[in-house]
Amino acid sequence: MGDSAYSFSLTTFSRTGKLLQIEYALNAVANGRTSLGICAKDGVVIATDKKLTSELVDVAHVHKVELLTPSCGVCYSGVGPDYRVLVQRARKSSQVYLTTYGEVQPVSQLVKQTAGVMQEYTQRGGVRPFGISLLVGGVDGDGTPRLYQVDPSGTFFQWKATAIGKNYVNAKNFLEKRFTEDMELEDAIHTALLTLREGFEGEMNCDNIEVGVVRNGKFNVLTPEQIQDYLDEAN
Amino acid sequence: MSILEYNGAAIIAMAGDGCVGIAADRRLGAQLHTIATDFTKCFRMAPKLYVGLGGLATDVQTLHQLLEFRMNLYTLKEEREMTPQVFSHLLSHLLYEKRFGPYFVEPVVCGLDEKGEPFLSGMDLIGAPVTAKDFVVTGTCTGNLFGMCESLYKPKMNPDELFECLAQSLLSSVDRDSVSGWGGIVHIITKDNVITRELKGRMD
Amino acid sequence: MSEMVMNSLPVDYATETSGGFSFENATRNPMIMASKGAEYLPKLTKKTGTTICGMVYKGGVVLGADTRATSDTEVAEKNCEKIHYLAPNIYCCGAGTAADTEMITQMMASQLELLRMNTHSQSRVITACTLLKRRLFGYQGHISAALVLGGVDNINGPAVYNIAPHGSTAKLNYSTMGSGSLAAMSIFESDWKEDMSEEEAVQLVKRAIGAGIFNDLGSGSNCDICILRTDGTKDYRRNDVKPNEVAPLRALVNKSSLLSMVPGLTPTIGNPLIQPHPARVSLADVDVVMETVES
Repeated sequence: MGDSAYSFSLTTFSRTGKLLQIEYALNAVANGRTSLGICAKDGVVIATDKKLTSELVDVAHVHKVELLTPSCGVCYSGVGPDYRVLVQRARKSSQVYLTTYGEVQPVSQLVKQTAGVMQEYTQRGGVRPFGISLLVGGVDGDGTPRLYQVDPSGTFFQWKATAIGKNYVNAKNFLEKRFTEDMELEDAIHTALLTLREGFEGEMNCDNIEVGVVRNGKFNVLTPEQIQDYLDEAN
Repeated sequence: MSILEYNGAAIIAMAGDGCVGIAADRRLGAQLHTIATDFTKCFRMAPKLYVGLGGLATDVQTLHQLLEFRMNLYTLKEEREMTPQVFSHLLSHLLYEKRFGPYFVEPVVCGLDEKGEPFLSGMDLIGAPVTAKDFVVTGTCTGNLFGMCESLYKPKMNPDELFECLAQSLLSSVDRDSVSGWGGIVHIITKDNVITRELKGRMD
Repeated sequence: MSEMVMNSLPVDYATETSGGFSFENATRNPMIMASKGAEYLPKLTKKTGTTICGMVYKGGVVLGADTRATSDTEVAEKNCEKIHYLAPNIYCCGAGTAADTEMITQMMASQLELLRMNTHSQSRVITACTLLKRRLFGYQGHISAALVLGGVDNINGPAVYNIAPHGSTAKLNYSTMGSGSLAAMSIFESDWKEDMSEEEAVQLVKRAIGAGIFNDLGSGSNCDICILRTDGTKDYRRNDVKPNEVAPLRALVNKSSLLSMVPGLTPTIGNPLIQPHPARVSLADVDVVMETVES
């Protein structure tokens, strides 16, 4: 592979100093289903739109919010298969960390590592950048909840609340209005669902969204029943 | 003779009440020939963390450098101090990685964790961990050291008592071991500071 | 080269290795030992000595182990843990070289967790068994771990597997391993029955481990028990039986004033060196002053 004619990097600078491949990747993200996250005082919530192309797809076996470590989970907007690659890499690196240090990898380290992988794919030969942005929710070494966004370029930010994917501008505006510094987790979950509903095409129900929550230092993907309960409370 | 006994060593780590201590002899020998009497076998890895490395002197120094390197990198990357638990796990991991070509070193780890509680652990040369609440020993006279510690150790010693207990256990043990001794050093780690004392011991 | 990098994790070359053992010192060590007339390695490592066992009963499996670790004839640890976690529904007792049993079970636990996350399903006992035997066989017995694997899963129910260091395995109703395996097996051979109740099963395992503790010199101290039930619950009883408790006896002796150390007793050289811990500086302690730089 190293010697093949295609071993050069596809992500090269344009004359104006831009990396167009990365901008195109960001477009792919902006076309993807909306995902958002809120970092509350006592936890984190990440949520994503899971609407599928056909009624006939078995939704129970589509996983868009995934567990990375017992205290950290992730969701994405963009190209689905790229997501799986990153999830596997992140899980593996967190297991390497666990066997080396005997401690669960803090979310900040996991994010740095994953962002490193994404950066590598913007420079190495024969590959294209990832067509996804990630939202990672988890806790740091001292137990503080954290929410991160990782972009195809390998950039990562820490957010109080943010949204990615289709309609992210509106969703972010909505979050800016709703977010408060002393927000509690239950409040944050409701706000997340409300924000997601704002830009939702069609009826939002417990089967076409997915929600992950970091509570007491543990990450859990909510079951459809749990999501339904939150939706009922909101109505 | 085992290669671990080539240079000679005697090290004890012991827990007190909100403090821990580590004591080691100072001899560097080549079998029965004494080369130096100021050899360092206990290393301060973090403000409240010491590691004692007993075994082949060349590996003691190599492993210490490796640990220092990994510690510094961890502190830079994670922007926090490594806890004794994590340090012990990392050391065990590093040793087991060389399962089929080990460093000839048997370490002991002692320190105070984030809560200020004592932490002790010991390992064999391929990283099998031993955690203890009272004391751990390593070196060429572990039989003597275990015996002295078993009889002199008391729970909840204050820093001064802990020092005496460590010093007496060490001195009595090395007096009956020909390849360790020639003075000793004791570090007591408390929540505020580390107190280091050099022991007056037999020089024969 | 680039293909190799493609398939491996992003390796931070300075710190993380790509996994597996390092043979960096493997040529040096025999040379050093030969030149110093030192003895061969395996005698140096810590063994678990050990009596471990496991059995199937009506409602699941029971695993048992003693808690002594030895280094040659010296007791290296009086209360070590030999029943290792592999998955929430699978545990594994280990005998042999202490580091090997500790590390192989730790690696397996990590591998099973990855598998569980990637498949969104429960780990099966047979999977754990296969992963373990493949690894052990791969190392041709050089990883000296003799294991009794026990667990319960939704597909195959309760199972106990015996795994030898060379990688051979057997699915058994009851199994023992370690230096005390004969003592423990004598108990199982005479009293194991099919469909025993949990209470009977735990009692039998305790007797088997007891036989090892008292008749095998490599085994000793306390008895750990782990029960894994078909209903998905488990009960890990650390030090369930403590037949060799010396703390109360020691406490009597330690009260003696003869053994109390008087501060200032031991002669030292020079004054003690007192080093305060460096104050940890965080951003909260720093005043940030905005500065403008004229260029």
